[in-house]
Amino acid sequence: MSLITPNRRGGANKGGARRNENNRIYGLPLPLEFSTPATARFHPARHILGLFGIPDTRILNPHCEGTFDPLTCSVWVTNSKDSTILWRRGFFGKGDLSRSEPSWHTRQMTARKAAGKFLTSEEIREKRRAERKQFKLDRAAALAQAAAEAEAAFAEGREAAPVAIPSGATWKPQAHPTAEDSRSPTPALTEEVEQEPEEPLEDLEHLQLTLQEAFFLIWNFNCLTVIDPATNEPMSLQQIWSTFRSVYCDKLPPPLSEPAMKRFDNPFLVNYVAYHYFRSLGWVVKGGIKFCVDLLLYKRGPVFHHAEFAVLVMPVYEDPADQESSPFTLANAEPFSWSWLSTVNRVNSQVQKTLILAYVTIPASSRVSCDQTMSPACLAHYSIREVVLRRFLPARMRD
Amino acid sequence: MDDNLERPTSKSQLPPAEHPEDEQSSGDEDQGPDWTKLPSVSGPRPVIPKRGEKDFEPIAAGGSGYQRHVLDRSRSAMFDALRAAPSISSKSASHAVWYPELARAHVTIARGVVVANMGHSVARPSLDPGVSQKVQKRLELLPEEALYLIERGALFCRKAGEPVLAEEERLDEMEGAPMSVQQAFAEMIGKEDLTLEKYQVYAYLKRLGYAVTRAKPPTSEYPVPTPYPSAASPSTTIFARLRNLFRSFVFGLRNLLLGSFDWRRPIKFSRWLHHNMDYTSLSKSLRFLPSGHDVPLHIKTKSGAPPSPYEIFYHLYKPSTPFKKTAPPPPDFSVVVVNARTTPIPSLHELSTLFGVLPELPPPVPRKRQAFTPGGSKTPTAPPPVPTSVAPSSEASSWRKLFQWAPSCMTKQSSPEKAQPQAPRTNPFLALKTGNKIIVIAAVDAGTTTFFRFGQGVFKEWPML
Repeated sequence: MSLITPNRRGGANKGGARRNENNRIYGLPLPLEFSTPATARFHPARHILGLFGIPDTRILNPHCEGTFDPLTCSVWVTNSKDSTILWRRGFFGKGDLSRSEPSWHTRQMTARKAAGKFLTSEEIREKRRAERKQFKLDRAAALAQAAAEAEAAFAEGREAAPVAIPSGATWKPQAHPTAEDSRSPTPALTEEVEQEPEEPLEDLEHLQLTLQEAFFLIWNFNCLTVIDPATNEPMSLQQIWSTFRSVYCDKLPPPLSEPAMKRFDNPFLVNYVAYHYFRSLGWVVKGGIKFCVDLLLYKRGPVFHHAEFAVLVMPVYEDPADQESSPFTLANAEPFSWSWLSTVNRVNSQVQKTLILAYVTIPASSRVSCDQTMSPACLAHYSIREVVLRRFLPARMRD
Repeated sequence: MDDNLERPTSKSQLPPAEHPEDEQSSGDEDQGPDWTKLPSVSGPRPVIPKRGEKDFEPIAAGGSGYQRHVLDRSRSAMFDALRAAPSISSKSASHAVWYPELARAHVTIARGVVVANMGHSVARPSLDPGVSQKVQKRLELLPEEALYLIERGALFCRKAGEPVLAEEERLDEMEGAPMSVQQAFAEMIGKEDLTLEKYQVYAYLKRLGYAVTRAKPPTSEYPVPTPYPSAASPSTTIFARLRNLFRSFVFGLRNLLLGSFDWRRPIKFSRWLHHNMDYTSLSKSLRFLPSGHDVPLHIKTKSGAPPSPYEIFYHLYKPSTPFKKTAPPPPDFSVVVVNARTTPIPSLHELSTLFGVLPELPPPVPRKRQAFTPGGSKTPTAPPPVPTSVAPSSEASSWRKLFQWAPSCMTKQSSPEKAQPQAPRTNPFLALKTGNKIIVIAAVDAGTTTFFRFGQGVFKEWPML
């Protein structure tokens, strides 16, 4: 079930029905669509190709449009049709007023109608958090009661009666009388609101693509056009290549920004190599800041299942001299301590994700000429390899 | 599997039922031993209270007599257990002599586990006066082995050169005053590359039942495990050669018709040639960046840098593996021991050096769920004998597409592949999480050891699209 389209079937939309719905909506893994035109009239191309056993497929390119925003270092897609296409075919980008899918408009519309019938993912999240808070209060109260009971029993010298402590799996939210009372005045209010003519709600949200996602779409599929905000003209590939790299160089003081453009350790390049590699293997790659890591890998998408892998991108300099002279501070370039690695591993295993260290080697400027950075051909000199990190428990691995 | 230990639960964990005589086993991984379960020599066994949770804040109503009582009970049980003297009879203990200059303990009387899987036999010239010079083989222990046995109380070791008691003064075969545990620690830590961290890892693994040997033989007499079976070289059968030839032909033809790789437009679509016309082949064409562990590394290392501490130190054998002291099999795990405070995590160069010496393991088979039998035998999860990877390959499918008009040709070529027994299907996530080469790194942080498994990633072999 798409979390923003209303479900008319109510209870039937669970489990299998929701999965089928998701498979239907998010069925295309990439923005390009391959179609076999089922035209009845005679077409010579189809028959000639058919002799070789080759089906006649066409590519449908959605040709989305976005604007580059230098302040946020991202590409904004304001057209809601384009952002829906980019989200539904490959889960690119993030709505800036939403949790992930651009659902702000739908949430505002449902807030105008009777509340409680349709829930977006943000509302589901709030509900879940409130329930969990209530569970924690109940559990703390039960623990306090158990401790008081044990204390009283000890003072009297008898055995304490066991007190049931709620566990997360079996606790059910109880209907609280206070919440129901607060609901009753609202239907009266909403009725009044609906009688007034509503002004059409403008969609104020846009889809935000990171530089790596945008470049991936432009370079490989040519399905995104990026508009320069200063000139309102679409940018060519060469302009996009140099603009995306200069975002990191412009932050440096002027004498350093010019030579920094020719460096191989530009954070855009390093992160792009990792992004492209995992996308080319079919994984949906999203940001991992919530779990102390750089990237999260989903098998088909966030709506299907939780991420299985958490990736830390570790840049490795081929020449240590490059690292010393670097104006950029790349994260994880210096080998960090075991305590930090333990921390990140512990955080991720709490949420059942496996930690992957993706090593991206940065070519040495002594081995590869710096002029290569002028075109995407320099990406051929990087390399990426991954290492899986898990804890080893000797007591469990004995058999 | 090991994630289960780290998931928080609101229920307090009861210690697993333990064999009462097994005084060396500890309860949970991360908590100390349950002192109330250890047998104590002095007095009757104390009443065993359940190990419960300590409150983290005082009760609002006041009064924590119950809590204090529980804590006192556990503390006194711990002190009682520590006070108990080690209870091993001298009849079952072995005797040895420690030679500091050789850094070895020569076992004079060997009993029990000492002979089974510890120590190695070394030929040394006999030094007794009066006996003619002849080379005798004797059992010698490495410092960590001797120290472990002394700590357990299974070995009485005296230092060579200490005064030897006369025959009449001896009690129970003891030739002289045995070393105390403190003296043993002072003598043996620091000899033969043995640091306190390495000893702690050794003792912990031995206590769990593993057989632990050194990876780098300290002397030539030390038994070396049989080398790993070398990875099968890419087959040079005629079938494989033909396939390579055909692949290069198709590649050249494609380049001719579509133009060579252009970095301005890396993905080319062609309707007539049906190139990149579905998601699988499109995804495959996207993999043009150099990736994987086969790509050569050009990392420059500083010439004056000290040698890296990341070296395989121990070979680990599971308790179920038949371990023969004189001819050890290839190890189950290779362990590196580092001090977590002074050493950062391994760099890529160090990791690839470590992976370079390890064998490639086949993808893991999912555990077969067996119906519970009272006899209790579990089938070991042996990897299937078929070494071929079960990873999907799309090259065969592209072959089939182009040769649809010659079905007979295809069946002949695919039959030798089908003739092999059908290997059980590997779960791709299991293979991805394990990797194909495993190195275990033990990071010791002032007594607390954490073991990490670094596996070489195999994402390229298991694409999702």
